[in-house]
Amino acid sequence: MHPTRRTRREKESQMPRKKRTCRFCDAKEIYIDYKDEKRLQRFVTEQGKIIPKRITGTCAKHQRQLVHAIKRARHLALLPFVSDAIR
Amino acid sequence: MDKAKRIYETTCIVNASLDDSQVEAVIGRVVDTITKNGGTITSLNKWGRKRLSYSINKKTNGFYVNIEFEAPATLIALLERSYQLDEMILRYLTIMLDAKALAARAAIAAAAPAASEEPAPPPPAREPLFKETGSEEKN
Repeated sequence: MHPTRRTRREKESQMPRKKRTCRFCDAKEIYIDYKDEKRLQRFVTEQGKIIPKRITGTCAKHQRQLVHAIKRARHLALLPFVSDAIR
Repeated sequence: MDKAKRIYETTCIVNASLDDSQVEAVIGRVVDTITKNGGTITSLNKWGRKRLSYSINKKTNGFYVNIEFEAPATLIALLERSYQLDEMILRYLTIMLDAKALAARAAIAAAAPAASEEPAPPPPAREPLFKETGSEEKN
């Protein structure tokens, strides 16, 4: 490696870390509704997988509610279990 | 406790290949089951025909109906039994609305009273089923 070149980890440690906040806490949400499929879609990948909270920044409390809502929405075919139509 | 009425919400997907009148008949049957067994319907929303995210019984479309009602717990078993017997109902989901859900609903209704077309059910004055623990958790 080039002597002056910094590794990625070093760079990251020096950069100010952007603090991610829970969207539901910011919006003072008390209940995540399974019927709100548009909103739930943002927390699901294109394949239909639930995005982990370490990526989205959702807090543990709301992630639990969110997962519950997504699973209910999947049962009612509002959200897919898997979607890999284009390959 | 089992005599006490609770607020439930049920969503079912009716076979969308039926005519509108036949869909209405299916909805009527569901409504009948609820009202005849001691339940009172507070709101009935027809979301209409929607595309299913995945095929259910080889159908790609469904007619969604969402019913909110107050009923004793014994009704739920009867309702779900009738759902299973009805071949025109592809899928159903019945959930109890807990204190949090009701509080959220009341907040939405208070924020936009004009926006809701159906009269929002007044939140019943009852003890919350569990204490709100939001203040204890640091997020």
